[in-house]
Order: sequence, then C-alpha cells, then structure tokens
Amino acid sequence: MPDTVFDREAIGNVPNPLGLNGIEYIEYITNQPQALGQVIEKIGFKPVARHRSREVMLYRQGDMNIVVNAHAGVLRGTAAADAGAPRISALALRVSDARAAYERALELGAWDVPMHAQVMELNIPGIHGPGGAHIYFVDRYRDFSIYSVDFLPIPGADAHPAAVAGMHYFGIVQYIGSERTDDWVDFYGRLFGFVRLPEDTRFGILPKGTLLQSPCAGASRFYLQLIEPDPTTVIYDEQELFQRIGLGTPDVRAAVAALRRQGVDFVESDKLHVTERGAITRNLMHSVVFELVHDPRH
Amino acid sequence: MKIDEFGMDTVSLAGPLQSRLRTMKAAGFSQVMLSARDLVGHPQGLQEAIDLVRASELRVTGFRALRDFEGLTGTLHAYKVDIAKSMIEMCAALGCKVLLACSSTSRQAATDSESLVRDLRKLALLAIPHGVRVAYEALPSGRTVDRYARAWDLIGAADCPNLGIGLNSSQIFASGESLEDLELLDPLRVFLVQLSDFMWQEPPALEERGATAEAFRVFPGEGINSEGLAQLVMSLDRLGYRGDYSFDVANDDYLQLPLPTVVERARRSAVWLAEDVLQRSVPLPGALRLREPPSQA
Repeated sequence: MPDTVFDREAIGNVPNPLGLNGIEYIEYITNQPQALGQVIEKIGFKPVARHRSREVMLYRQGDMNIVVNAHAGVLRGTAAADAGAPRISALALRVSDARAAYERALELGAWDVPMHAQVMELNIPGIHGPGGAHIYFVDRYRDFSIYSVDFLPIPGADAHPAAVAGMHYFGIVQYIGSERTDDWVDFYGRLFGFVRLPEDTRFGILPKGTLLQSPCAGASRFYLQLIEPDPTTVIYDEQELFQRIGLGTPDVRAAVAALRRQGVDFVESDKLHVTERGAITRNLMHSVVFELVHDPRH
Repeated sequence: MKIDEFGMDTVSLAGPLQSRLRTMKAAGFSQVMLSARDLVGHPQGLQEAIDLVRASELRVTGFRALRDFEGLTGTLHAYKVDIAKSMIEMCAALGCKVLLACSSTSRQAATDSESLVRDLRKLALLAIPHGVRVAYEALPSGRTVDRYARAWDLIGAADCPNLGIGLNSSQIFASGESLEDLELLDPLRVFLVQLSDFMWQEPPALEERGATAEAFRVFPGEGINSEGLAQLVMSLDRLGYRGDYSFDVANDDYLQLPLPTVVERARRSAVWLAEDVLQRSVPLPGALRLREPPSQA
C-alpha cells in the first residue's frame, strides 16, 4: 500500500470558514399564517411552539424547523403584504460561532440586518441575502435551543415529531436575474465556503440551474440551486428570491404516497412527473412549492 | 442610423432633471449617465427623481461616483462603507447596473496592493445582492492607481465577477498612457467607457487637470483629439467590447445654451462615432436581417 492516496477526483479540502453545519430553520412571511400553516402541515410539519410576543409559529418534523412569521412589523412594505402570497424570508444557518461568522461576513462586505429583538429576546445576527431575504447565523443548536428563549411550547404537542419518509432539508432553490450566476456563486463562495458543482451534476427531476454545495460534512450538507430566467421566454422576470425548499428523502415514492394521503398534489406533466429521483408539488397559495429529491442520507 | 451604444451624461446640460431627460430622449438617445447629485438635489426629493428617471424610458448607463473608497482603515473605512451602501441602493433603485468608483486620491489611503484589493473585493460583494456591477476607474490624480493598466492589475487580483474597469478617454490621454495596453483587458470586464474631446492644444498639466478638465471638454469629434478618440474606440471594438459609451462632457459654455442645441451636438458626435468610426451602418457579414412585412395598403 502506498502511503499517499492521490485525490483523483480533485475534490480537495473544502474549507468551512464558518464551521457551517446545516440549516437551523427556514422562515416564511405571510399575512395568512393559518392557511400557510395548513399547507406546511400537509407536508408533514407539526406546530410545536408559539412566539412569546409576536405572531410567529414554529413548525417541525425530524430535524427540520420552519418558522411562519406573520408579525405586522415584518410585513410592512413587502410583497407578502401586497399580494398575500407567502414567501421565504430567511434562511438560518448553523455555524460554530454566530458572532464570529457575522463579523467575518460584514468584514467581507455583507449587509447587516438591524437587530430588533425585544427585551430578554434572543438577538440572532443576520445579513442580507437575495431579494430582501435574510441569512441568519445560529450557534446554539446542540444542547440548547434558540426556540426555548423566544417560544412557548404548544401544550400537548410533541416537541419532536418524526419526519415523514425520512425527509430532511436538501436545500433551497434560488431564482436569480439574467447573467447573475457568477455573482451569486461568488457571494456564497466567499461568505460561506459553498463550492460550485460541475454543470452536469443533477439531483431530483428538474434539469435547470447551477448547484452549490455547502462545506458541511455528511448529513448536514445541503445545496443551493441558482436558476436564471429562461432566455427563450418573452416574459420579463428578473426577480431574485428564495423560491422553494428542497426536501431530501431516501424513498421519494413513499414520501409522495404519504403526502398525497394528506392531500398534497404533485406535478404530473409531459416534462415533469413523480419518479424515484424526485417530485415537485403543485403551487400552493400561489407561491409555495416543495421539491422532493432522492437522497439516501438519514 | 443607430446611436444606441452612445449616451449623454446629465453633467453636459443645465436645467431641471426632467427637461434634460426629455430633451435627450427626443433627440433619439436611449440611455443616460446619472450622478447622485441629480437625484439627491432634485427639488421634489429622491424618490420623485427616481420615478422621473424610470418614467423617462432612458436606460441608466451608469451611476457616479463613489470616490476615495479603497485603502482606508478604522472609522474612515466604516464611513466610506456607509457611503458606498447608499450609492449602491440609489443605483439599484434606478434600475442601473453600473456604479462608477474612482480610484482614491486620498492621502489617508494605503498604497499597498493587498489593502486596495481587499477593499475592492468588499465593495464588489456589497454590490452583489443589489445586482450592481462596479466599474473601477483610474484617476490621473489617484494616489496609487493613476492609470488604467494599474486599475486593471488590481481588478485581476481581486477577481470578482461584478468588478470591472471603467475607462475614461480624457484620463487616459491626460496621463499619456499607451492605447496598446488596452489589449490586455478582457472586454467582458470593461463595464463602462466614458468619452470626451478637448479644445486645448495639450492635455493640461497635472495640477491644472482638475479645474480645466471639468470645464472645457467637448463631445467626441468636436475637439482636437478626434483621431485619438477614434483610435481608442476602434481599439475597444477590435478587443470585442460591445458595451456602452457615455459622453463625459463638462463644459461651462454648454451649461448656458438651450438644451436642444447641446443635445444636437451630442447626437452629431454619436452619429460620427457610429457611422464614420465604427461603421455601424454597414451590415455585418452574415448578420440576420428580418424582412419587412409587406404593407397592407
């Protein structure tokens, strides 16, 4: 046996400057929290806690948290307030030191999110992401939960409901403007250590976009998929936003069957349909879509 | 005849923003270079000014100018970051994709490449979420970066997708730089080209540059450096540059002439560049031409 095994696939040591370790929660804002709550419950999430001072609910399944924020202050002047369509407003990342991550990001040129915690509430440091969405840094996720400070458990609710068909966060799809792929690859690469995967890498059933892989190891690894407007379409659409959540599952068909029983519709068309590689839900409440991706982890 | 590649700068015209935009549009221009002062100094305020620009149907070539950003430390740096953020926000609100950043002339600024590159990267990253690109331009009076080749070195070292170079003909000719170095540039990283001619026999000496350059520039083809400008534009075209050209013409005389008179001079200049210099009216070999639909008459 030779002492050195060469890195034939040029994977290299992926640096993880923030000690990134997966997604802590994803936040939606909406002025229809009940309707959105029902949609999220159909996907298998259960309401587990309520914010002490604001109209904010925490939903959970397995290791995934979704926060539904209907607090009036965050809705003012947003698209959600205008159209009533919910949108993904924040992505909270697990890091080894939230303060250090935040300061490093600002040093490199990120825009800070002004803190607005009330007395005795947790200050979660954050920066601006795409289209007014925020990216937060959370370091207390192992033996202490951020939710135990600001949230009250819902009486009688199971605080740790199991995930449907082993579902876990696979990633987020981000819509970006034309010719903006390089910009966002640079943004996520420099700030968080994401690496761009080769153009022919594909997960799930949707063929478009550029994939970025988080620097986290093993089960906490997740992906961002950047999608530019289709150059052949005549519609002017340069909007940038977190468009949908990708859920990984070791068994897509089992997950689809379970969610169908809850009343979730999946896209079945000439181009797209449910396969063992993946599936995508029909649009719920005009703007809420979930994508299932085959991923044997968990 | 097509003058779409060329645009005026509001600095060439006197009067209210609305009249300046309207006159340019009426003369057939499709783009305009704006300064932050045009917006902030608007009598009805910033938002009204932004609305006016958006309603004018003129595309905003670029937004100027962030100055003395790079090389500072401590509170000065923090202050400049705040200024940059405001400029980026205004730029994005206009739907403008290019922010002009001029090389620092500050004596407080560091001169080592490492500091300058670090700050340019930071500026580029600040601009990414807003969809803004940074055109970094060398001023002849720059403390460290006083010629475009030097600006290009730093841009290459910073290696950010939304950081490119801004070229200004008067600065290139004033610093006596060779046009040959243009061949070193990547045309996709040239984010802005500003053109102006001058009336002086010689480019003014360094200490006079500020005042003179600001007051007596003329549109390309009107002055004594037409040949140099033609060479510059043709070099960029050969390089593969297909972006915008903006007329960076500040002239006290033009500020006391009726707007249509000045705009007509600019239009003649654009036609000269498009037809005589770049020969844009000649169809490119193999270029797709759509047949006109038969008339219904």
